[in-house]
Amino acid sequence: MAQQEMGYQDDNDGQERSLSEWQQELQTPFPRRPEWAGASVETSYAGPDLLYDPGYASHSARTLRHGDYTRRSAPLIDQVSNGWRNSEKTAGFYAAEPEDHDLRLCDLEDEGSCPNTTADLVRSRRFRRMLAVVLVAAVVLYYSWRWYLQPRLQEEWDLKQGFMPARSNGTYGIARAGHFEGTAIKWLDPELVPGGEGDSKGNRRLVFVGDIHGCKKELLHLLEKVGFDAKTDHLIATGDTVSKGPDNVGVLDELIRLKADSVRGNHEDRLLEAAKTLLGTNLPPESAAATSQGYAKDAKLLRELKPKHMRYLRDMPLMLRIPALPHASASRRKDKDRVHENIIVVHAGVVPHVPLEKQDPYFVMNMRSIDDRTHLPSALRETKKGKSRPWMEIWNWYNDRLFRGRSLKGFHLYSADEYEEEQLAESQGWLGSLWDGVFGTGKAKMKPQVVVYGHDSKAGLQMHRWSKGLDSGCVAGGKLTAMVLDAKGKTEIVQVGCKNYKT
Amino acid sequence: MKIALGVLICFPVLVRCIIGLPKVPDIPKLPKRDAPFQDVRTRLHRTHQDADEDSPEKYFHESTFHQHYDGRFADKKLNYDDRRKHLTALIQTYLSSMNDIGAETWIMHGSLLGWWWNRKILPWDSDLDVMVSEKSIHHLAQYYNMTVHHYQLPGLDEGRDYMLEVNPHYTNDSVESANKIDARWIDTDTGLFIDITTLRRNKTAQAQGIEGAMMVKDKHHYLYDDIFPLRETKFEGFPVKVPFAYSELLVEEYGERALTQMFFENHRFDPEKQEWVPLRYAADQHRLLPNGPLSHGTSYWGRRLPSDPG
Repeated sequence: MAQQEMGYQDDNDGQERSLSEWQQELQTPFPRRPEWAGASVETSYAGPDLLYDPGYASHSARTLRHGDYTRRSAPLIDQVSNGWRNSEKTAGFYAAEPEDHDLRLCDLEDEGSCPNTTADLVRSRRFRRMLAVVLVAAVVLYYSWRWYLQPRLQEEWDLKQGFMPARSNGTYGIARAGHFEGTAIKWLDPELVPGGEGDSKGNRRLVFVGDIHGCKKELLHLLEKVGFDAKTDHLIATGDTVSKGPDNVGVLDELIRLKADSVRGNHEDRLLEAAKTLLGTNLPPESAAATSQGYAKDAKLLRELKPKHMRYLRDMPLMLRIPALPHASASRRKDKDRVHENIIVVHAGVVPHVPLEKQDPYFVMNMRSIDDRTHLPSALRETKKGKSRPWMEIWNWYNDRLFRGRSLKGFHLYSADEYEEEQLAESQGWLGSLWDGVFGTGKAKMKPQVVVYGHDSKAGLQMHRWSKGLDSGCVAGGKLTAMVLDAKGKTEIVQVGCKNYKT
Repeated sequence: MKIALGVLICFPVLVRCIIGLPKVPDIPKLPKRDAPFQDVRTRLHRTHQDADEDSPEKYFHESTFHQHYDGRFADKKLNYDDRRKHLTALIQTYLSSMNDIGAETWIMHGSLLGWWWNRKILPWDSDLDVMVSEKSIHHLAQYYNMTVHHYQLPGLDEGRDYMLEVNPHYTNDSVESANKIDARWIDTDTGLFIDITTLRRNKTAQAQGIEGAMMVKDKHHYLYDDIFPLRETKFEGFPVKVPFAYSELLVEEYGERALTQMFFENHRFDPEKQEWVPLRYAADQHRLLPNGPLSHGTSYWGRRLPSDPG
């Protein structure tokens, strides 16, 4: 019978036992599965029950051949224990039985199932520690991004966008803009530059004064405090030397006597324009009721001024430029007390990146803020739409960028030359720009400049790295400020108190 | 940009009073006179005004085909080039006459914007705006109302007549919707005109304490110190006056984009030539669309844009 069910016919490879011995061994009945064991779990197994199937015995007899021992006493089956029923099944077994696999995984009663293992994991200390660390790190990262990094990046981006053509269909500085009678840009006399041609020893100083507004006594007091010596020092006023104050003619006389330079402020502008209609006529003066209070006061002042005063006012340029001091020490990025670069003196402000010739004169004498996107200036501190910033903020950002040598790629261009340069730079490619980066371009790059201005008395003294605001509201009872610049580039602020002359 | 003035021939000799307002103080209520077509016609045979359409108190009547043409003198709208030419002549002759008369006048609104960009009229503008002071309008009304000034400018074929017509309602200080314009400088050949408005003292605002408040009948409000003292400059090659705080007035009226935007009304501002160049062709115009190539801007518009095929 065993032979019939064997099904292996061709393997007679020289066993030592005889056929009858084999038959004896194999005919011992298998032990019955005990009743208490219940139904076998593998009820779905369709194949032969390997252990209880007599045919299995023949299979195990075959495997015995590959082993090296022979057992004559008990069948191998006696040595087989049932401990396998309690152990875990292998993966191969699972693959054949998908339904049981699911039940096994989600079975809450089973210790090895998913929910139970997860619960164990969560309850474990180590896991909780790790989780806590990860959560804290995530929270810290998120808030540091939201409160610190993201606003700064956003700010940088917004500031940069104002210079790029992407968002606007044009920019300030393209149109012909306003009208200025007189010298728009004047360079300081080279003899007067500290450390320049006329001053090899470096004894000269430049004294910049904020809006004087006719406060002659305070001006003299300030010059005394500074130790002004007409032989070595040169006075530069930031405009608005007259109007509003007690002794306008006296201030002009003093400035003319000291041969001081000044830039044209909005009040001087008013006087000069009014002079065209008022001077040289014998018409009776217009009252404040027919015109306005400011106009009437200007008319009154004009009658007091003499031709030499008018000439002095007309000679005031819109912007005064001072070259970088030759003896100044090397400049650093954040040094507010030194000036090493070119200086531009204006009354109210300039718009960054726009060439000086293209700046509208009215805005140069009146601006306090700049529109975010179009960079159009405004005399107001905040425009109605609320999208403006103080102009010196953008000026400082821009010049800091120039100082660090960051690229101006993509910024507005205002002339054919700039365009040609940009085209050249683009055509070079990455290798060319790498070469430039290492060996320098050899072309003159834009250099940062320092602006000295007045006009904004509400803001008061504003000393930043690239902009120095000197109007501290003297005529309204504030202070009169002077900034003294010596040949080494060091600046010093000197102030005197003022009486309130505003009626 | 500079027009040679040396060849300017003008004949301000003929100052005809077509309608004279006799001053008869005993009769207080004289009916307001009009300047009907039959009295002032030049070359047209029928008027293109429709006075019945306007409200009864309205003095000036625009033409039926366009609001910027006077129907007594115009029968059709001019094309782009002709209109530009004639508007230029209009402002030049106006400034010349006012200078001769000695009336204080200055450019405002659209004309001021054109001045700011390149000292010329904006090409898409079909009218011009000027202002006069109260004293000037009184002077013009009393001595120069309905006067005709003959000019022959170089570039225009024959001489033409320009008429100054003052609205009798100019004496009314309050805001009137029907009579916002106080006077007109009219080209009697083409029907184009300049709107003249008066800057008046705003008595109510001044009573409330706003110092230097001024107003115009077309509901604009200004401050005295923003307009005066006037600046002397040039416009279309002729001496002109502009308000003191011109940039602020422009920004207030038109916004920041008007002073910085280079693409407007199918025109592009060429920074090199400093001129508004029309984009005549569809190929150019599509570039102005929101997602077109120009919407991302260009670094130097003068070069990167295609040249005008026209």
